[in-house]
Amino acid sequence: MRQFLAILNDSFRLLRARTLFWISLGVSAFAAIIYLSIGFDENGISLAFGLFTFDAEFAKKGSKGAELLYYGMFSNAIVGIWLTWIATILALISCAPVFPEFMEEGSAGVALSKPLSRPLLFLYKFIGGLLFMGIQVTLFVVIVFIAIKLRLGVWNPSVFWSVPIVLLVFSYLYAVMVWLGIKTRSVMASVLLTLLFWLVSFLVLFAESITHQAVLTDKGFLGESLTEEGVEGYRKANKMFRVPYAVLPKTSETVGLLDRLIVVGDGDVLGKATIDAMGKGGVISGDDGEVFKEDLDRHSPLYVIGTSVLFEVVVLLLAMRAFCRRDF
Amino acid sequence: MSESAIEIEYLQKHYGRFEALAGVSLDVPKGSVFGLLGPNGAGKSTLVKSLLTIVRPTKCRGSMLGERIGHRKTLGKVGYLPEHARFPDYLTGRQIVAYSAGLANVPSAVAKERAEQLLELVGMTEWADRKNGTYSKGMRQRVGLAQALINEPEIVFLDEPTDGVDPGGRIEIRKIIERMRDEGRTVFVNSHLLGEVEQVADQVAIMARGRIIEKGSIKDLTQRENRYEVRTLGPVPMQMREELESKGMRVAGDTVSLVADDANGVQPLIDLLRREGAAIREIKEVRSSLEDVFMESVERQEKEGV
Repeated sequence: MRQFLAILNDSFRLLRARTLFWISLGVSAFAAIIYLSIGFDENGISLAFGLFTFDAEFAKKGSKGAELLYYGMFSNAIVGIWLTWIATILALISCAPVFPEFMEEGSAGVALSKPLSRPLLFLYKFIGGLLFMGIQVTLFVVIVFIAIKLRLGVWNPSVFWSVPIVLLVFSYLYAVMVWLGIKTRSVMASVLLTLLFWLVSFLVLFAESITHQAVLTDKGFLGESLTEEGVEGYRKANKMFRVPYAVLPKTSETVGLLDRLIVVGDGDVLGKATIDAMGKGGVISGDDGEVFKEDLDRHSPLYVIGTSVLFEVVVLLLAMRAFCRRDF
Repeated sequence: MSESAIEIEYLQKHYGRFEALAGVSLDVPKGSVFGLLGPNGAGKSTLVKSLLTIVRPTKCRGSMLGERIGHRKTLGKVGYLPEHARFPDYLTGRQIVAYSAGLANVPSAVAKERAEQLLELVGMTEWADRKNGTYSKGMRQRVGLAQALINEPEIVFLDEPTDGVDPGGRIEIRKIIERMRDEGRTVFVNSHLLGEVEQVADQVAIMARGRIIEKGSIKDLTQRENRYEVRTLGPVPMQMREELESKGMRVAGDTVSLVADDANGVQPLIDLLRREGAAIREIKEVRSSLEDVFMESVERQEKEGV
């Protein structure tokens, strides 16, 4: 335990010493405050703590629309874009030197000559690297938690699901980066190759998702109606994408789980409540609503997280093996 | 025979086709200061790193503090100052020592107290709360030494401990090493600074090309060969020079040197010089320095290697 705490403490000091950590933390706090500045009044939406107001019938204070809009902004814009993409990229760049620098001559020797096994040393360093994202997302969600109480009048602890979910997504990618960092010993190579991997994974998952929806709705990517042949083409394509889909970490789908974990006012989960509201508001048809709901529950959280974590564990084992077999 | 702190029966390390350690065998007595000497690339650091599991040996048989080499728990009784030690720039001297203490599983209260003592010992108390990035090379080395001692080790490995340290600091480090020996610790010093090792080590080994080519106490190594030098007034005549060299003596200008068990062995040379009318200016007994032993051993090894 003392050894773990020593490494964790060192990781924390490393973060504090990095300018990017403070920039990222500052921008996160700023984004959360912007979220806090959004409110609702009798006419609709207010921005910048009431400085600007917009009439919006569907989002008047106390309405279901206002509640869903506020949660939706958190789930889709703030978690879905800021935390999942931008903050994650900043965290990857910040944490990229952890292993390559540790493995430089004269640096690893002190730690490796201690009564601590290499696999444990590796794991402790890895967990230490997750601190960056952990601190960012926790600070962020605490502000959001307070914002929801101020704007919607309820304490909603289910938003704290964002902390493990975002951390999990970061850990999938961080594992890949650590492995590449150990293999190449290059900070630049590990960052670039990880971003490339992420892009490829995202494209594969996106392709699998749109081909699946096309088969389900008989509508193509651009919303055009499909012939039987067209549907068959999409079905074949979907089959092809399912193999890499099953293996690769599901970053978007993991974040998407928040729609199933964040509970809104009437006890329903955010995703279903939003689809229902869109149906009632005439934004989507009843049939489309059913398709969206089916798509929402297509894979169980266990499958999404389980297969992604399995990928992460395999990559971590490969990284650990490379770390344990290396001479320093 | 004294008990061994380190007993290497056979240690081999290959990097692909390159043989960094060619089946090294070595004994380090407990409570002694042991100096491992050798030119750059001889394998000194690889040997130490192999003992500390930083490098994975190709073949290794032996023990350290009574346990097999590589035994994880035993490393808790070992301290290490790496060559070119690189500690993070964002840590202060005190934090570096605390980090090392944590990794060595030293309880934090004990570590805090020891850190104060050690920082004072290495003369870093005044700068202990400044960041490593602001330290000079010598200051970094002092902090490195303090962190190596935080777990009160039974064996301390110091890889080029005086690298970058000023003359005053070198003397202090030498005193610390002597103090550790007085406390009963075994100190293993890797160095290419022969003069420094000679002043502090009880036993030395000389390494070249991954092999131990000489080992023993400094006294044994430097007194193994008694040499005498006889200087004449003016150069030794050419005719006499050939005769002396044919008898195994070395002649350079006005100096004749020969190996002899004692002063009796020099008498025939004196007689010869007098007979030939050469005036003797000086006769002296010359002890080999560690540097002489080192140079001879390395040159011999290189010739054999070729």
